[in-house]
Amino acid sequence: MSSEIETTFATDVYGTAAAVESGASYDDEEIKVLKDAVRALPPHAVNDLLSKGVCVRCIFRLFGICGEAYLRSLPPADMIRIVRESTNADSHVEDSGLKADEHSSCLSTPKGSEVEPDVCSLCLGILQFHYRNDKGTLVKKLSPLELAIAITELVKQEGHQIDSFSLEISLPPLIQENEHAVWLYLKRKFGPENKFQKRLPEQISVKDALKFALATSLETLLGVKSGPTSYRIRLTYTENATSSISSDVAERNGGSKRRKTGSDLSSELLEVTRECIDNHKCEGDNILERDLTDLEDSDESFECFNLPTEKIKEPCCLMFLCYRTPIYFGGRYFKFSRNVSQTRWIIEDERMGEASVEEIIGGSILPACQGDNYKFHAAGREDIDVRMLGSGRPFLVEIQNARQIPSEALVKEVETKINNLENKLVGVKNLKVVGNQGWSLMHEGEAEKQKQYCALVWISRPLEDKDLLSIASRKDMHVLQRTPIRVLHRRSPLDRPKIIHWMKIERIAGSSQYFLLHLCTQAGTYIKEFVHGDLGRTCPRYAKSILSNSFCLNLIKFLLSSQHWVNSGLQGRDTPTRCNGCEDGLFHDLVNHSIVDAYSLLHKLIFSMDEIKA
Amino acid sequence: MNQSNNPPDSDTIRRQEQQEEPKQPEAETFVVEDEELRNLLVPDLRDFPATPLSAVETNFVSYYAPDFIKPGHDQYVYRHANGLCVIGLAPTHVAFKDEGGITAVDFNVGKSDRSGIKVTGKRKKNAQHFESNTALCKVCTNGNSYIVRCCVKGSLLEVNDRLIKRPGLLNSSADREGYIAIIMPKPADWLKTKASLSTLEEYKKLRDGS
Repeated sequence: MSSEIETTFATDVYGTAAAVESGASYDDEEIKVLKDAVRALPPHAVNDLLSKGVCVRCIFRLFGICGEAYLRSLPPADMIRIVRESTNADSHVEDSGLKADEHSSCLSTPKGSEVEPDVCSLCLGILQFHYRNDKGTLVKKLSPLELAIAITELVKQEGHQIDSFSLEISLPPLIQENEHAVWLYLKRKFGPENKFQKRLPEQISVKDALKFALATSLETLLGVKSGPTSYRIRLTYTENATSSISSDVAERNGGSKRRKTGSDLSSELLEVTRECIDNHKCEGDNILERDLTDLEDSDESFECFNLPTEKIKEPCCLMFLCYRTPIYFGGRYFKFSRNVSQTRWIIEDERMGEASVEEIIGGSILPACQGDNYKFHAAGREDIDVRMLGSGRPFLVEIQNARQIPSEALVKEVETKINNLENKLVGVKNLKVVGNQGWSLMHEGEAEKQKQYCALVWISRPLEDKDLLSIASRKDMHVLQRTPIRVLHRRSPLDRPKIIHWMKIERIAGSSQYFLLHLCTQAGTYIKEFVHGDLGRTCPRYAKSILSNSFCLNLIKFLLSSQHWVNSGLQGRDTPTRCNGCEDGLFHDLVNHSIVDAYSLLHKLIFSMDEIKA
Repeated sequence: MNQSNNPPDSDTIRRQEQQEEPKQPEAETFVVEDEELRNLLVPDLRDFPATPLSAVETNFVSYYAPDFIKPGHDQYVYRHANGLCVIGLAPTHVAFKDEGGITAVDFNVGKSDRSGIKVTGKRKKNAQHFESNTALCKVCTNGNSYIVRCCVKGSLLEVNDRLIKRPGLLNSSADREGYIAIIMPKPADWLKTKASLSTLEEYKKLRDGS
């Protein structure tokens, strides 16, 4: 291996980069990697691609070269030189011949390909690190390292505390089209060559090549490893709006609508074909052939596959941003107020309730994570005038783009802070940072079948002991709830069967007409409507197998006798006529149904949320 | 329970309480064990009226259409805060004055059977749009029949089809289970309709005076 060439590389090509990074021996190693990579390529294909304005890194990836070869920039002139060397070396089978041939090979290089094109016709400058920034200014980074430095600055500026990162890259669809075009072009032109056929399926995508180029520098600069993690660095490349290429391409493929599906299809096809070639199946090839002929039919010749690429001289626009994927806090909340909604509730600019659970909890957690925003999710909800007591309702708070993940102690502090707020509207317990599984567990909780409630009920006659027995004896009572009038404006009119698992009456000292009704029902039961009957639209539906007739009769009697007392109001009718329709509703006359507390959820639910905590 | 005898003195009350106390466990009075929760759940009854408002009074604002189209055809419109209107017969409706009260309800009036239309979905597909004077049903007494009308311009969401089998619901509880229909007016239409209806006070004054 010639030391002269290596020196040339180090000074000419890597001058700028070397100023930032140090270590000559490291450079040497990388140059060796580069040279080895170039030597492995089919020389005439390399020359051809260079003359078509394809950049060096794109050539690498077309021939499936991975890893470190993407780190350093290599001018095409040098690439040609190495290619020459290697072909000569092949013919002379001697390293010593290299030096002598060096100059002549340089001279005989085809004109135009020695200077790297401004913008690669394949990757549109992405792998050359040329792009337009968000202000539209053309930026030419000389190496991936420089782009990595710019990204690092952004990370520092945003102030994220990170222990690893992962790169997300999104590319304009034109890249995919170019990939397809060049693939077909290579297949046609160099297809018969055995070596090439084998190479083809191993092509590296622009995305992967970009990752090879950036990841190592970013790891060094940020001091953390890359890997699957919640912290994302996102590079979004978009076609320059001023470029007219895309419309050209669109027309060629017959209309923009078709183009979209067409290119998507062909990209899928590519994937399929690659696999198929690997597996030596002919199906894929057939599809490809068809695709190829399709394209040929609509075009002049295969040469035109390179036409769009030759036209393009506009680099892509690049936006890079970094963010953390949402982190979740799980726990259970209590609502102690009948004037606090679960979520922010505003009707025509007018706020309903004095506060919301969402805002109180989310607003307290957000500052601890320095996130951008929060979202509140809960396993079900209660009305604004219903309290949430007992074991509390499971919830998740999603924090978007958290700058830091708070420590256990800090989370505890937040919990204490919420619980000690002056107005005591809302409480939390078991507040924890949870992973994505918090979602599924909460949804399980939502689907849990049984919920407990407590309603303060007033009936129009004094409560009797037999009422207590009668109510307590009813197990798994089936009721049919026609969509309550309260929600009929937004829900579908339906008969909704629900089960009341059990009910118990608790007397309240000092009143014979007010009492507490404890009940456990199937999730989704409208409790208020069950209690007041909703104009007869919620009615008990007795399952005869479960309840004996006498029980039914007792209930009806209870209802009858209670009805007698109610609300004579304007309609002063007497008892005999009232007897007709009293199976409807449970306590239809009783009232103050609005005092309902959801005070406990079932044990199974508690269990599932305990799993979240684990 | 204290009403039947002479005015009870405090001693008799105490005696009764003492008698009742041992019975209570048999009657399964339910008690929440968690004391903290219990304290939250058990209300202070001083915060509540001896006789609270009824569910209808709490949830709806009552309007009336006395003598709607014809004299004595008094109807009510209960409007929920969500805009839905429950239509029914006011207690002073002339049909209640007939001997034996209402004996049958027939929704087959006008061009279609009102009870035969199935409204479905959030968007209330199939809901018919009616004017305020459109007939909803016919209520029959021994010898007479009366047309009940919408009173409110809007979409007919449902009619109370229970009334077909149990017309007596109208005699027993026309203000609740004996309602006739639920109509959803457009907000703008409602404002116009509302102006033509009487409030509870106006209605009371009108009927109490007569």
